[in-house]
Amino acid sequence: MSGKPEDGTEFEKRAREVLEESTARLDGRTLSRLTQARHAALGQLQRPVRQRWFAWIPAGAAAAAALAVIMWSGQGTESGSEPALSLSPAEDLEMLADAPEFVDEGEDLEFYEWAAGEVES
Amino acid sequence: MTALVTLAGVYNTPVFGIERSREQQLNSRALEQFLVSVEKRAFKIAQLGLRNDDDALDAVQDAMMKLVQSYGSRAEDEWRPLFYRILANRIRDLQRRRTVRGRFMAWLPTRDEENDEEIDLVAQAPSPELTPARRLELDEAIGALETAVAELPPRQQQAFLLRSLEGLDVGETASAMGCSEGSVKTHYFRALASLRARLGEVF
Repeated sequence: MSGKPEDGTEFEKRAREVLEESTARLDGRTLSRLTQARHAALGQLQRPVRQRWFAWIPAGAAAAAALAVIMWSGQGTESGSEPALSLSPAEDLEMLADAPEFVDEGEDLEFYEWAAGEVES
Repeated sequence: MTALVTLAGVYNTPVFGIERSREQQLNSRALEQFLVSVEKRAFKIAQLGLRNDDDALDAVQDAMMKLVQSYGSRAEDEWRPLFYRILANRIRDLQRRRTVRGRFMAWLPTRDEENDEEIDLVAQAPSPELTPARRLELDEAIGALETAVAELPPRQQQAFLLRSLEGLDVGETASAMGCSEGSVKTHYFRALASLRARLGEVF
């Protein structure tokens, strides 16, 4: 008796046959309502989809941040990119000393020439 | 580049990746197949336990909802005993509720619910495969067996239906009923003895 009841007595076999026949005869209304019940139950699996959409927000933010870091850290290091515009401090000072038009009136040009000389030495 | 590889690795995990959605689809399909495979017999078990089609449908729907919601992620071979355990609990709850309601309603005027029910033409349509004689014989057998089963004590009824109709073995039935295998054997044996006494050896 510990196994499946298929190997039972005649009575058990007959009872099973009758119950199966009864189950097979379920009316259309009952079958329809069972289908509706099943769909309602499985519908619960679809409901979290909206939550899953929200779950992508932190993922998207993380991706955007990672992309920004990559772009920022890679700036000026790639061989194909434009050369950096900033000059060394000595070059800055030389430019200022050689191009007095960039210097506001009243500023001490001799100071810039001295400073450029100091940096070079 | 390393960062990109790391990022790709993160998004390839089951949490965010396509794998998860595919896994869910497969799980949903497997659950649907399981529910289709049990729903008719589950209804019959609930119907015999509750003797009311609407209550039986409610019990089956509740069991389906609970299984999907709480145990859908469990291994598939666990679903059947879990489903029938939930169903058995639901049937018992409805039986208790009905008993309590019956105590209050006993002294209130009642209406004849059977006269209010609509006639279901689909249910009354004859099955085309059966001869009238065979159909009559089965009708009588079904009526006699279902009446006898419906009058069994609840645990005997449950053991009998889970074993005979659903085809669960003793271990699965014990798991579904929340009792020992020894209890299942006792309930089943008593149910058979009672039905035999009422219906005859081969009815």
